[in-house]
Amino acid sequence: MQFFLEVLIGGLLSGVMYSLVALGFVLIFKASGVFNFAQGALVFLAALTTVGLMERGAPGWIAGLIAAILLGMAVLAVRKGRGAALGGRDWRKAGMFAAIAVGTILLIHKPLPFWGAVAVTLVFMVGVGVATERVVLRPLVNQPPISLFMATIGLTFFLEGLAQAMWGANVRGLDIGIPDEPIQWVMDRWGVLVSSFDLAGAGIAAVLVASLAVFFNKTRIGRALRAVADDHQAALAVGIPLKQIWAIVWAAAGFVALVAGLLWGARNGVQFALTFVALKALPVLILGGFESIAGAIVGGLIIGASEKLAEVYIGPMVGGGIESWFAYVVALLFLLVRPEGLFGEKHIDRV
Amino acid sequence: MADGALDTFPRLLMHHAAVRPGRPAIREKDLGIWQTWTWAEVAEEVRAIAHGLAAAGFKRGDHLAIIGANRPQLYFAITAAQALGGIPVPLYEDAVAAEMVFVFQNAEIRFVIVEDQEQVDKVLEILPQAPLLEHIYYDDPRGLRDYAQSQLASLERLKEIGREFGKAHPGFLDAEIAKGAATDTAAMHYTSGTTGYPKGVVLTHRNLIETGRGAAEMEGLGEKEEVLAYLPIAWIGQNIFSYTQWLACGFCVNCPESGETVTTDMREIGPTYYFAPPRVLEALLTQVTIRMEDAGWLKRKMFQYFMGVARRVGGRILDGKPVPLGDRILYALGDLLVYGPLRNALGMSRVRVAYTAGEAIGPDLFSFYRSLGINLKQLYGSTETSVFVCIQPNGQIKPDTVGPPAPGVELKITEEGEIVVRSPGLFREYYKNPEATAEAKTNDGWFHTGDAGYFDPDGHLKIIDRAKDVGRLADGTLFAPKYLENKLKFFPFIKEAVAFGHQRDKVCAFINIDMEAVGNWAERRGLPYSGYQDLAAKPETYELVRECVEKVNADLAADPKLANSQIHRFVILHKELDADDEELTRTRKVRRRFIGEKYKVLVDALYGGKRDCFIETPVRFEDGRAGTVSGNLRIEDAKTFPAVGQRAA
Amino acid sequence: MSAQRRIGEPILVVEDVSLSFGGVRALANVSFDVREHEIRAIIGPNGAGKSSMLNVINGVYHPQTGTVTYRGVKRHRVHPHEAARQGIARTFQNIALFKGMTVLDNIMTGRNLKTRTSFLEQAIWIGRARREELEQRRKVEEVIDFLEIQHVRKTPVGRLPYGLQKRVELARALAAEPDLLLLDEPMAGMNIEEKQDMCRFVLSVNEEYGTTIVLIEHDMGVVMDLSDRVVVLDYGKLLADGTPDAVRANQAVIDAYLGVKH
Repeated sequence: MQFFLEVLIGGLLSGVMYSLVALGFVLIFKASGVFNFAQGALVFLAALTTVGLMERGAPGWIAGLIAAILLGMAVLAVRKGRGAALGGRDWRKAGMFAAIAVGTILLIHKPLPFWGAVAVTLVFMVGVGVATERVVLRPLVNQPPISLFMATIGLTFFLEGLAQAMWGANVRGLDIGIPDEPIQWVMDRWGVLVSSFDLAGAGIAAVLVASLAVFFNKTRIGRALRAVADDHQAALAVGIPLKQIWAIVWAAAGFVALVAGLLWGARNGVQFALTFVALKALPVLILGGFESIAGAIVGGLIIGASEKLAEVYIGPMVGGGIESWFAYVVALLFLLVRPEGLFGEKHIDRV
Repeated sequence: MADGALDTFPRLLMHHAAVRPGRPAIREKDLGIWQTWTWAEVAEEVRAIAHGLAAAGFKRGDHLAIIGANRPQLYFAITAAQALGGIPVPLYEDAVAAEMVFVFQNAEIRFVIVEDQEQVDKVLEILPQAPLLEHIYYDDPRGLRDYAQSQLASLERLKEIGREFGKAHPGFLDAEIAKGAATDTAAMHYTSGTTGYPKGVVLTHRNLIETGRGAAEMEGLGEKEEVLAYLPIAWIGQNIFSYTQWLACGFCVNCPESGETVTTDMREIGPTYYFAPPRVLEALLTQVTIRMEDAGWLKRKMFQYFMGVARRVGGRILDGKPVPLGDRILYALGDLLVYGPLRNALGMSRVRVAYTAGEAIGPDLFSFYRSLGINLKQLYGSTETSVFVCIQPNGQIKPDTVGPPAPGVELKITEEGEIVVRSPGLFREYYKNPEATAEAKTNDGWFHTGDAGYFDPDGHLKIIDRAKDVGRLADGTLFAPKYLENKLKFFPFIKEAVAFGHQRDKVCAFINIDMEAVGNWAERRGLPYSGYQDLAAKPETYELVRECVEKVNADLAADPKLANSQIHRFVILHKELDADDEELTRTRKVRRRFIGEKYKVLVDALYGGKRDCFIETPVRFEDGRAGTVSGNLRIEDAKTFPAVGQRAA
Repeated sequence: MSAQRRIGEPILVVEDVSLSFGGVRALANVSFDVREHEIRAIIGPNGAGKSSMLNVINGVYHPQTGTVTYRGVKRHRVHPHEAARQGIARTFQNIALFKGMTVLDNIMTGRNLKTRTSFLEQAIWIGRARREELEQRRKVEEVIDFLEIQHVRKTPVGRLPYGLQKRVELARALAAEPDLLLLDEPMAGMNIEEKQDMCRFVLSVNEEYGTTIVLIEHDMGVVMDLSDRVVVLDYGKLLADGTPDAVRANQAVIDAYLGVKH
C-alpha cells in the first residue's frame, strides 16, 4: 500500500509538470485556434537561455541584434507618434524600447545570478512570444488552420536552432535552489517517499494555473480573450483589439514556457530532449480537451499517475519500459470514448 | 387593550424596529444584486410613506389600492396605510383595467400606489369610471417622465413630502398608530366568486395576526426564516406568508428580480419557509424530468435508482418512522448523490416547512417532494378564514387529507356534508354586501365553506368536492364526482374524466386519454395509431386505462365512506372534451351536467349494460368550421373491490 | 443622458458618398443627414445598399468619394474600433454574439471601450481594476434591467432563442453608452410578439437615453411607426428622404418599392 501511494504521488506530481506544458498549448489554442507545435521549443529556449545567462551572460551578436531591432522600433514609435492624435503614449513606448535595448547591451558577457537570469529570460520570452505573433501568425490570419499549424512547425525548428546557436548544444545542469530529496516528516509520519522538488514544482504549477484561471474568468482581458476565441469578427465589432489580445496570449505562453523550462530543466538537465516534453503534453490535451485549463490539469494528473503506475505494475509483465509510450495508449483509448476531451466543449451549433 | 400590545401590524413593525433594528427585514434583487432593508430602515420608509399619505389627505378608514408585483415599497405602503388606520386593498397585477373598475368603485378608492408604467396606464384608463380617485403614486419611474396627469406622482416624491411632514409634525404617526385597535380592518382582499361581482373580504388585524401567529407557533417559525415572495400580493396566502407572518415573526422576506427569475432567485436565497400551489410544484418536477432525460447515461441511471429508494423509504424517514438500516444507508448515499443536489437545484435545500394548497395535489407529485426530504405539507383554508383552517402536523402526513384543524379552529360537518368553520381568523363581513355575508356566516359565527368533506378515523379532514356538486347514490351513500375525477386525472395517461352516479345504483365514467402521454407510451411499444380517435379505441389503451380505474377502485375500497363509489364501467370518449364545444369551462373545468345531456346515449349505454355504443357528435374545429365525429365506442367493466372492513358486496 | 427626446442639429452628415466593389456600384452619390436624438430609418429593396451604408458609417468600408462628417469632424478612413470609441455602436444582420459566453459576459464586452485601466493594470493592479469592473458591472446590469433579460443573465447566448439573442446584441451595443446606434434589421426573423417587444425597446432607448438611432428594416409597418425620417435607397441611389408620410406618398418610392410586391 505504501509503495502504491508512493508511486501514485510521484506520478501525480510529475503529472502537474505535464499540465504546465499543456497549459501553454491551451492558452494559444483557446485564443486563436492554432495548435502551437512550437511550445516545446519555447520550453527548451527558455531553459537554455536562463542557464546560458547564468553561465556567461548574453552573447554579443544576439544582444546587438536585439538592441538594434529595439532601437529601430523605438524610432518608428516616435515617428508614428507625431502623426497620431495620442502622441504621448508613443513616446513612452519608444522610451521603453530604448531602455530594453540599452539593458540588452549591458548584459553582454556578464554572467547573472539566478533570479536576474530568470527576469531577463522572462522579458526575452515575452518578446519572443509577441514577435512570433507579429511576424509569423499575423500575416497568416484567415488562412486555414493547417497552414498555421505548418507555420508553427517551421517555427519549432527555427527556435531550436536559435537556442543552440545562442548557447551551444551541451547538456547543462540547472540548479533552481530546491533540493530533490525525500521530505523527512512525510517519511516519518506515513512512511511514504515524496520528493521535495516534485512537491515544490507542483506547488509552483498550481499557483500558476490558479492565477491563469482567475485571469481568464475574472478579468476584462480574460473575457476579451474568450470573446476573441469565440468569434473574431464579433470581437472586432465591439472594439476588442484583436492584435493586442493575441500578443498578450503569446506573451503568456512564453511565460508559461519559462516556468516549465526551469522546472523540467532542473529536473532532467537542460538539453535538447526538453523539446520532447512537449510531445508528452499531447496525450494530456487529448484527455483534457484542447480548450480547457481545468482539462490540462486533470489530464496531466491522469497521465502522470497512470504511466507511473503502469510502469511499476504492468511494466514487469511485458518486460518494462512502457512509461514512454503508455500515455499515448491511454489517449488513444480515450479518443474512442470521448473525442472532445474530458472538459472540451461540445460544439452545438444552432441554426 | 393594554398600551404596547403587539396586536396591530404597525405596532409589530415598530416593535421589530426597536428590538432587532439591524436584522434584515426585506430584500429585493435589483440590478443583479440583493438589496437589503433592515427593520429600522423599513420603519423609516413606512413612516415616510405614511406621513406623505397623511399630508395628501389620506384618512382613517380610507382604502388604499395597491397594484404590482412583490416589491418592498408596496409592502411598505401596506403598513403605511394601516398605520394611519387605513385599509390596503391589493389588486392582481395582471387584472385588466375593466376588472379593476368594480373594485375602485366598490371600495371608493381615492389613493392608489402602483408598481410601474404598465399599471399607471391601466389606472389612467379607468380614471373616467373611478371619479373618486385623486392620487396615483408609482414606484418605478421608467417611461413615466412625460406623463402630465395631475393625479400622478412618484412614490419617491410622496416620501419626500412625507419626510417634510414628519419633521413638521413629530409624534403624529405614533399617535395614529396608538389609535389603532386590533378590531380595526387590516386588509380587504377581493375574491372572485363563480358568479356575480367579486366580494371584498374584510379582515381585521386580530383575524390575521392571531391566525398567522397560531400557525407560526405550531411550526416553530422564528426571525431566522427566509421567505420568497413570488405569488400575487392580492392573494390572501401571500398576505399571510409574506406579510402577516413576516410581521408576526420578524423574519426576512425576499422579492425576486422578476417573474421569470424566480427559480434562480430561489436558489440564491434558499428559503426556509415556502409555499407553492400544486401547479408550481408540477412545473418544477417537469423541469427536473426534462433535465434528467437530457442527462448522461450514468446520471440518469443513478437518478432512477435512487428515486426508487426515495419512493420506498424517503417519506417514512421524513416522518420519523422505523426504516431498516440498509435502506437508511442507501437513502443517505442517495442524499449525497441525488437528493441533496436536486434539492439545491430546486432552491429547497434549506426548506423546513413547505405548504401546498389551493387544489387537490396528486399523490405522486406530493410524495416526490417528501421523498426527497422536503417537508411539504398540505393545508386547507380560504380568504374568509385568513387561510389556516387545517394544517398537516409534522410526522402525520397523508397525501389525501389536509390534516386536523389548526390551532384555535373549530370545525363541523353539516348534515349535508358541508364543512363549516369557526375561528379567530374568520372575516368580519363582505364589504357592503350584507346579503352575501348573512348567507356565508351564521349569527353564532360559523362560516359555510361551500366544500364537502369528512373526518377520517385519525381526525384528519378530507376534502372531497364542492358541497353543491356532491350527490347521493341510489342507496344513499356519498357520491363526490370531482373527487373521483381528480383521482383518475392524477394518472398521467388520463387527461379528463367525468363521473356519473347521482341517484343511480353505481358509478360509471367517461375518460379522455392524454394524447401526449398515451402517444409516447404507444410509440415506445411500437403501437401504430392514426390520431386521437384511433388511439383511444385501441384495446391496449383500454387495458391501460382499466388498470388506472382499478387502482382508483382499490383506493376507494379502503375508505368506508367512498367504497360504494367505485367505478363499475367506463368508456373512453372518441373526442377530447373541449371548451369550444362548451364541454369545459374556459378554466378547463368539466361541465358535468351539460356533458351528461350531450352524451345521453353513452350514459344510457353505460347503465344499460351494453358492450358498445354508436355515437355521432357535432364538433367545432380550431378554424371555426363545424363538423361531426362519429364512432362505435367500446364500453368496459372495471374490477371493483370489497370495501375494507365490510363484507364483500 | 438626455432628459427629453428633442430632435437637435445633425450629428452625422453623409455627403455625396459613393462606394463600389470591383465594378459593382454599391452606393452612388448618396447624401443625407441624421439629427441628434432622432430615429432614422434606411429602407430599400434587397441589394439597395442599405447595409453598405451602415458599414460606411461605422468604418467597415471606406467610400471612394464623398465624406462622412460626424459631430462636425470630417472623417478619413475611420476603423470600426475608432468609430466605436467615438460613440458609434451597432448590431448586425446576422447576430454577431459570442455564442459560447454568457449573456452577462457578452454584454460586458460592450463595455470594453469604457474601461480606463490599461491591460497591464487589469492583469496586475487588481485593486483599481476590480473597482472598475464592479462599476462596469453596475452599468451592464442597468442595461439588463432595461431590456428585461435578467432571467437569462447567466445563460450561454448560443442556447437562447433567436429573438432573445437579438435583444442581447442590442444590450451589448447599449452597454457602450453610444451616442449613435446603428441597427441592421433588428427585427428580421422575429415573430409578431418579438417584433412588438423590439419596437418598444428601440423606442424606449431613444426616449430614455436620447440615443440617436439609424436602423435598417424590411417591415414597413415597423419603419413607419418607429422612425422620424426615412431614407429610401434603390440600386445604391437615394430615391427619397423625408418623414414616413412624405415617403409613403412619394411616387418614385411607390413605384420602386412600396407598391411592388416583392
